Amino acid sequence: MSTLRIEVCLGTSCHLMGAQDIIDAIENLPPDKRSKIDLRGVTCLKTCRKGPNARVNGIILSEITPERILTVIEDNLA
Amino acid sequence: MNRLYPEIAVAQISKAGEELCGDKVEVARTEAATTVVISDGLGSGVKANILATLTTKIASSLLKRNVPITEVVPTITETLPVCRERKIAYSTLQIIKLLPDCMATVVEFDSPTTFLFRGGQVVPFPTEARNIGGKAIREGRLLLGEGDIIVAVSDGVIHAGIGGLLKLGWDWPGISAELAAHCSPSDDAEQIAEHILGCCNGYYLGQPGDDSTVVVIKLRRPRNLTLFTGPPANRDMDEQVVKRLMGGEGKKVIAGGTTANIVSRVLGLPVTVDLDYQDPEIPPIAKIGNLDLVTEGVLTLTAAIGRLHDIRKLRASTRRDGATLLARLLYEADRIDILAGTAVNPAHQNPNFPAQINIKAQVLANLRNALEDLGKRVTVEWV
Repeated sequence: MSTLRIEVCLGTSCHLMGAQDIIDAIENLPPDKRSKIDLRGVTCLKTCRKGPNARVNGIILSEITPERILTVIEDNLA
Repeated sequence: MNRLYPEIAVAQISKAGEELCGDKVEVARTEAATTVVISDGLGSGVKANILATLTTKIASSLLKRNVPITEVVPTITETLPVCRERKIAYSTLQIIKLLPDCMATVVEFDSPTTFLFRGGQVVPFPTEARNIGGKAIREGRLLLGEGDIIVAVSDGVIHAGIGGLLKLGWDWPGISAELAAHCSPSDDAEQIAEHILGCCNGYYLGQPGDDSTVVVIKLRRPRNLTLFTGPPANRDMDEQVVKRLMGGEGKKVIAGGTTANIVSRVLGLPVTVDLDYQDPEIPPIAKIGNLDLVTEGVLTLTAAIGRLHDIRKLRASTRRDGATLLARLLYEADRIDILAGTAVNPAHQNPNFPAQINIKAQVLANLRNALEDLGKRVTVEWV
């Protein structure tokens, strides 16, 4: 089964801009979807001004919201 | 060779109905010596507190200036008043002075005999009667070693339970037996002090008949910690600073995401963020090799300072967030060397962020103050 790797930046800026909400949105996915995601935290993606940031399959996404990350997950798992 | 470190704990309760404790303890740590001055003011409440405070402050100030003990005792006994009604000393005085080579001097003036807890046995700290300035004191010197524990108590502890649970009070042999039976040389000073004071309060049935104080001094190997926070101003210095961190004695802690990435790069070890424990206020901790702790920077440091302001709560806390873990490691250390990077993080210059994020120097100054208030030796080196 192929998994989708999502790395959420948990640096100071991203934390203040809502990185935890991104983590929560992923953690709260239904088990069948959650099991397909390799969720990790990273200390800094060096894109602090545009936080919160996440790297999905190696591509950095900035100014993400819980809704947007769920859409990205839908698109990538489809 | 590592010099031994005197870990000191003080536990006190006031006489029932009194807000202020009439016993006073003053601890002074300098390069030359560690001095503990204990005084039990006559009576209780405000009057006793003022007398005891005057006594300890004067004694401590003189000792800090290297005035010999033989001059400190008469200075105090001649300076402060004698109780008009009872014609007895205004307060007791007990001085414990420890030199860096572990030579301990104990001076007792109207105070209970000091306990020496060594190898599981409790004996009186060896002293001899002396006359200083017409006052009968007891004075003794002894070379201490690792694991030796000195316990000093005010007479409120000696008299615990008198006329109540214990006809003649707990007394010196009772405290001595309690120390030998229920305290271990491996306990930390605070555990021992809290245990003895807890028993004392128990014998008083929670209604202490006198101010009670327990001071415990334990000699142990020093615990060092190096904290690296913030990237150095010049990237070329990264490797050198990481070498300093890794070469430091004791525990090693990183506070800062970019700082963690620098250490990871220099050491060639990955950073793994721990998502198992989530806290809405404090960013998660991470792991790099066998480093003792890796946390986010300024938010975690600020929260850790808050936790250091309430040690009782910190000790009881079961939280495992970065700030609690950092505060605990800092609290357990005796000497803390902070390597503080001076690089400015432009991303932190956001006017919508909390004020402290932009004033790292202020955060570290607050951290230093909080740690020094707890008796820690702190150095901050800007890199």
